[in-house]
Amino acid sequence: MNIVVCVKQVVDTEAEKRLDPGTWRLDRSVNSILNPYDEYAVEEALRLAESHGGEVTLLCMGPETATEAIRKALAMGADRALLVSGDALAGSDAQGTAYVLAEALKSLEFDLVLFGSRSTDGETGCVPAAVAERLGLPLLSSLSKVEVRDSTLIVHRETEQGYIAYECPAPAVLSVVKGINEPRYPSMKGIMGAKKKPLDVKDPTALSLDTAQIGLSGAQTRVLSATVPEPRKAGMKIEDDGAGAQRIADFLASEKLV
Amino acid sequence: MNDKSGILVVAEPGQGKLANVTLESITRARELAGAVGGPVSVVVVATEAGPLAAQAARYGAGRVYVVERPETTVFRPGPYTDAAMAAIQATDPALVLFANSPDGRDLAAGCAARLGVGLLVDVTGLEARDGRFIATHPCFGGSVIVEKEATAGPAIATVRPSAFAREEAAGDTDVIPLSVDFAPSGLLTKVVDVVVENVGMVSLEEASIIVSGGRGLGSAEGFSVIQALAEELGAAVGASRAVVDAGWKHHQYQVGQTGKTVSPELYIACGISGSIQHRAGMQTSRYIVAINKDPDAPIFSFADFGVVGDLFSVIPALTEEIHRRKAAS
Repeated sequence: MNIVVCVKQVVDTEAEKRLDPGTWRLDRSVNSILNPYDEYAVEEALRLAESHGGEVTLLCMGPETATEAIRKALAMGADRALLVSGDALAGSDAQGTAYVLAEALKSLEFDLVLFGSRSTDGETGCVPAAVAERLGLPLLSSLSKVEVRDSTLIVHRETEQGYIAYECPAPAVLSVVKGINEPRYPSMKGIMGAKKKPLDVKDPTALSLDTAQIGLSGAQTRVLSATVPEPRKAGMKIEDDGAGAQRIADFLASEKLV
Repeated sequence: MNDKSGILVVAEPGQGKLANVTLESITRARELAGAVGGPVSVVVVATEAGPLAAQAARYGAGRVYVVERPETTVFRPGPYTDAAMAAIQATDPALVLFANSPDGRDLAAGCAARLGVGLLVDVTGLEARDGRFIATHPCFGGSVIVEKEATAGPAIATVRPSAFAREEAAGDTDVIPLSVDFAPSGLLTKVVDVVVENVGMVSLEEASIIVSGGRGLGSAEGFSVIQALAEELGAAVGASRAVVDAGWKHHQYQVGQTGKTVSPELYIACGISGSIQHRAGMQTSRYIVAINKDPDAPIFSFADFGVVGDLFSVIPALTEEIHRRKAAS
């Protein structure tokens, strides 16, 4: 079972995020990491490949610096990576990203495409479905369990109340949730080995991408304004002298919250 | 947006009744419909669509398209996307609204990809200006508010639960059966089982009050004080990342950047320090109350009301106090 895991480099979840006032694009000069949700997808792919054979390929769209996040996933155990990178891609929206990933996937061999459930910066959670649609493949998202029997996928899709179990033939596009597994930490051997693993970088021309569908100019949504709201201010703060609960209840009552 | 008119709401898949976010979307669509002309339509996919169609009618939908097919008794991305697309083709709307939920995002993304149009995700505001739709979206947990528009029609948006009010409205409603051709590739996914584990779990996204616990609870058992307060308030229970990572609570409960983004009327943070990543998931709550032992916890810098103290004495006392006041009133 050959698996492609789509990964993204994102701004560290512990950093304050800012938009560039000129372009309204995310300021990515701060510390960047592998999208935390993608770690679950990488781990799931490695487990499936370990028990069923096959290779794990990473696919990433991003700036050249995204190789750092990719190396982390390679250090976890993925076999190789393809980074699609180029100035023309900057500013792509969810649909543009899905187009690029779908085109890149056409150049790869796979039985399964795995995604994390969303990125912690774009946060749309819409790319897996759009990629599945573009490839004409079945989609199952928000999965808390993935099993393979012969070439049939048996999965659990998380719901508020529990889960729905589905069956689906490979190839398919799946997205997995946090908690599906415990992502491994890269070992020292893994980290050293990652440096020697193949990491291909292709630009939009190499993939014959339609420039009308990529980048800021190809985006089908337009940002009109971005404002930073007045930050929340500290309200009343008291020491609990035994009447703390009473004071909270008074506050809730005064704001008609209970 | 040229000759397209009217607004289509794609009902959130569910059991037996329409989700609040669908009713909220219908209400907002009704308010906006005047600006673009045309009706407010709703498409409902269900085993028994009658009661859902009646509910949509009560909230003022002019047309309700119903799909009742054996292939769609349970959510499946392919056939449900086919149904939404059939409704889009039948109505040729200027705007299509989905729920910002796992199901809604799959459907919205699928439809947008088929139509080759953009996606406005997780919108909390919608305005019509000169016949165009402007969507408000809080980025990064609300630290930046972005106004966006789609460059081609129909505009497709996913609506955040609780972002809009819901109000019933009188009017005539046509209920129209919708015929759909299901694409074979979408029917490859087969439903094997529907399992209900969390009976009565209050949805975090739709809750008006959330009581949330952090590392200060000390253990999984510590959640019992949170649970009791939540029950007294009719609130949902939330958790911080530290608590989920420690295995005290399932990740479905996690609020924050790698969990859920919530904007309830009231968020009560118990033993939560208020890191940037937690704040990103809850800072758009209307009121924030915090209880924490550490007087320097960052949560106090943005809570409306903070109590420095031991949550194991404050929370049970608060539960009791609210119970007492409810009984007295």
